[in-house]
Amino acid sequence: MTATIDFAQLQVGDALPAWVLAIDATRIVAGAIATRDFMPVHHDRDYANQQGAPDIFVNILSDTAMCSRYLTDWAGPNAMVRKLAIRLGVPLHPGHTLTFTGRIVATSVEGDEGIVAIEFTGTNEMGEHVGGTATIGLPVTGVRP
Amino acid sequence: MAAATLDDQLQALVGHPIGAGGPSTAPDPVNQPMIRHWAAAFEDWNPIHTDPEAAAASRFGEIVAPPLMLQTWTMATPKITGIGERGGSPVEGDGAEVLRLLNEAGYLGTLATNSEFEIIRYLRLGDVVTGETVLESVSPEKQTRLGRARFVTWITTYRVDDEIVGTQMFRILKFDPSGLVL
Repeated sequence: MTATIDFAQLQVGDALPAWVLAIDATRIVAGAIATRDFMPVHHDRDYANQQGAPDIFVNILSDTAMCSRYLTDWAGPNAMVRKLAIRLGVPLHPGHTLTFTGRIVATSVEGDEGIVAIEFTGTNEMGEHVGGTATIGLPVTGVRP
Repeated sequence: MAAATLDDQLQALVGHPIGAGGPSTAPDPVNQPMIRHWAAAFEDWNPIHTDPEAAAASRFGEIVAPPLMLQTWTMATPKITGIGERGGSPVEGDGAEVLRLLNEAGYLGTLATNSEFEIIRYLRLGDVVTGETVLESVSPEKQTRLGRARFVTWITTYRVDDEIVGTQMFRILKFDPSGLVL
């Protein structure tokens, strides 16, 4: 991570750089335990099978964490995540590759804060795993073009 | 008088706190070890969460917790023994009445479907978070690829002392897995 992105340079329609993440069991289990979610479907394949799933799957607290990282890896350390709303689609299992893409859908200024609204999705081999919207705040560092 | 239907029983819970025990209080204050564990799990090395010097130089002025860690602080300390037999519930006994009713009616499976956060301010080291959760709605029964199911939605208000630091809408699908072909 480097500097915080310059709000004055952002335009509606701009794409965020894609982020590609290889998913394995370790990543799923590490995320579940770090978010203190001990539901067995997130760490025990036999248990997941009994619930009708072919393998363990990522927990929603990890989804919000990964979405947040996608936003702030791009926006930088002075970005503040103000809203994050996600919906889950197809499950995310070990062996999948998760690809995040996003774009800016609105910008505005509130006081000394630049507000950026973003739509994003994370897709895997089965389709859209997660989709949503977010609003981040950035310090206003220049005059808008 | 006829016995209340499941729908009557579920709708009677809407608008009320979801557990009998009042707001849940985080077992530990916001702290660096749990933040570092979380950051490592997601490889999220935003320096405002783990680098005191970089955090001091940022708009936040000090170490702050990852914003989407908000829900993690008030997660119950789990009783690992028997967690599978309890359908994944981390604690015994006085769980949410709405989930007890749905489990008894055969909707034993659980899938999270939506999570929507509004973050008012980032948490600082030492903050003690409470979460107060109110049942917002329970849907009529629907047929899904997993079987008959109902959506359950609740709203959690997170506070530090009396200050609201964030809110969350959370929705799960409770489904009856008995018809699944494994």
